[in-house]
Amino acid sequence: MRRRRSGSVWMILPLYIFTLIFVAGPLIYMVALSFATANEVHGVDWIFTLDNYKKILEPVYLDTFVQSFQLALTSTAINCLVGYPFGYFMAKMSESGKKKAMLFLMLPFWVNSLIRLYGWIIILQKKGLLNYLLQSLGIIDKPLSILYSYPAIVVGMVYALLPFMILSVYSSAEKLDWSLIEAARDLGASRTKAFWTISFRLTVPGLLSGIILTFIPSMGLFFIADILGGNKIVLVGSLIQEQMTRVGNWPFAAAMAVVMMVLTTIMIALYRKITNVKELEGIG
Amino acid sequence: MKKVAAGVLCAALAASSMAVPVLADDNEMVLYTWEGMFPQEVLDGFQEETGIKLIYSNFDTDETMLEKLSMAKGGDYDVIIADDYIIETVVQEGLAEKLDKEKLTGYDNINPLYQGQFYDPDDEYTVPYGAGIPLIVYDPEMVDIEIKGYNDLWNPELEDSIALTANYRVINGITNLALGKSMNEEDVESIQETGEKLLELAPNVRLIQDDNTQNALLSGEASVAFLYTSQVMAALAENPDLEVVYPEEGLGFGIMGMFIASDAPDKDAAYQFVDYILRPEIAAQCFDYMGYYCTNKAADDLVDPKLVVPDSVTGGEIVQNVSQEAEEQYNKNWTEFRAACD
Repeated sequence: MRRRRSGSVWMILPLYIFTLIFVAGPLIYMVALSFATANEVHGVDWIFTLDNYKKILEPVYLDTFVQSFQLALTSTAINCLVGYPFGYFMAKMSESGKKKAMLFLMLPFWVNSLIRLYGWIIILQKKGLLNYLLQSLGIIDKPLSILYSYPAIVVGMVYALLPFMILSVYSSAEKLDWSLIEAARDLGASRTKAFWTISFRLTVPGLLSGIILTFIPSMGLFFIADILGGNKIVLVGSLIQEQMTRVGNWPFAAAMAVVMMVLTTIMIALYRKITNVKELEGIG
Repeated sequence: MKKVAAGVLCAALAASSMAVPVLADDNEMVLYTWEGMFPQEVLDGFQEETGIKLIYSNFDTDETMLEKLSMAKGGDYDVIIADDYIIETVVQEGLAEKLDKEKLTGYDNINPLYQGQFYDPDDEYTVPYGAGIPLIVYDPEMVDIEIKGYNDLWNPELEDSIALTANYRVINGITNLALGKSMNEEDVESIQETGEKLLELAPNVRLIQDDNTQNALLSGEASVAFLYTSQVMAALAENPDLEVVYPEEGLGFGIMGMFIASDAPDKDAAYQFVDYILRPEIAAQCFDYMGYYCTNKAADDLVDPKLVVPDSVTGGEIVQNVSQEAEEQYNKNWTEFRAACD
């Protein structure tokens, strides 16, 4: 037994080293960078400063955080509304139905996400599919400007992240003991009541992990805002990219990245706390 | 057979990556620039006419060129073509030859619009070789007003209909020009004013994008676009009815300059080459091939008319590096502007 243990340490060691070099190392570098001073011309001077963090508090940049947050919130809410029922009913399907649904869900992933986004341009543009459809149905007489607007970004975000919501709801709904619902129904609970008191509460962990899985990336998926939103909404991700590549102010970019990371860590901690509490109550 | 081919390829790769300085013997000269800057006929023509063997050596970025040239202390290469901003450094470091204009019979062919720029204010070192100029392009069928300059972009008639490229210095720059200032304004307070003016443009902006911006114009998503030269050409190739505007407030340039290395192994050959390229018919072939604006006045009648800036345009400016405070303010303007666009 002991020998197997020490053997497994050796097996894991490369992974540890890899993590140290390629995850911890860059993280430390980034945090250090966020306290450094940007050089006048190019590069970084290693002079300690808090200015990079102070700069984030300027209204221009603070607004970007607020805007990113709002967009993430909107797309996550829609993801919940669409993804939850989808995942829930998928779990109720027959075995072959589940397989088919899963295949259709995964199929788009075989195509690069950027290409799929360009597909949305073809659908949403003025001379695009959607406008053509609406016009030929007589609903509108002039093409709408849907592309390069806020709703277009939300559509792109939801589209990109919906599978994560569906899959995490599905996996927790699949484990659901349906006999509990039957029992509730036998004891006189209505369908709705049985759903809210049993099914929903038992699938809350799936929903929450779905929220985490969709909310956090949607704060960073700035290329969707660039391609479908025509760059008109500034998200933290695109601000960081711009500071890195165009302006050349790496310390400021690093400071924003650190703030983003702290925010997401807080959210994950919050999530863990919530789910743990549920477990103590015996629902999780 | 395949193995042999692979071996040859590997050898070629190894040879190219070793970066051996190109040694030219008596009747050879080295031309150093990006790939694809000359049509083959032009290069062949020079070799046939003069009997000088031309070695075309290329770099990917201006910075690589500077590094290699300074390592060779201005030697190894004869004629070099690079971007405006890097030439400023080349000249400062004494790596460029002061041109003997007596040896360049075609020197007067140069369009003065592209001369006297910051990197060579007295035209001592360079001969311009093509310019990139971001311009306004619009679809006259979709736009009711006549657009003559940057200021027209602010016209309320153009609500939600302009596509912009995403270079923040250029967009701030044209706002400066619209306000009658320099593209490279350094005064922070003045740049803040520029930012306020830029914010007023926001309602008219349909999208901001750097790649293939012309597609928005061609698909009817936008009716006016501010485009880079390659995009202007791509747009016109697809729809020749589009209107190109050379803004009355002045142009923003990017100029490529040709210069002779200070310690060029074969200066005579270098002068011969520069003079050869200055010939109108040769220059025209080059600009047609590259798709950049013609910097040779005498070639204007021979080159594709799309590549000629009309005589009415007399001024232009190049975006240069500014102080860090100014740069920061420009960037802040840009972020505020983008956020206001929605």
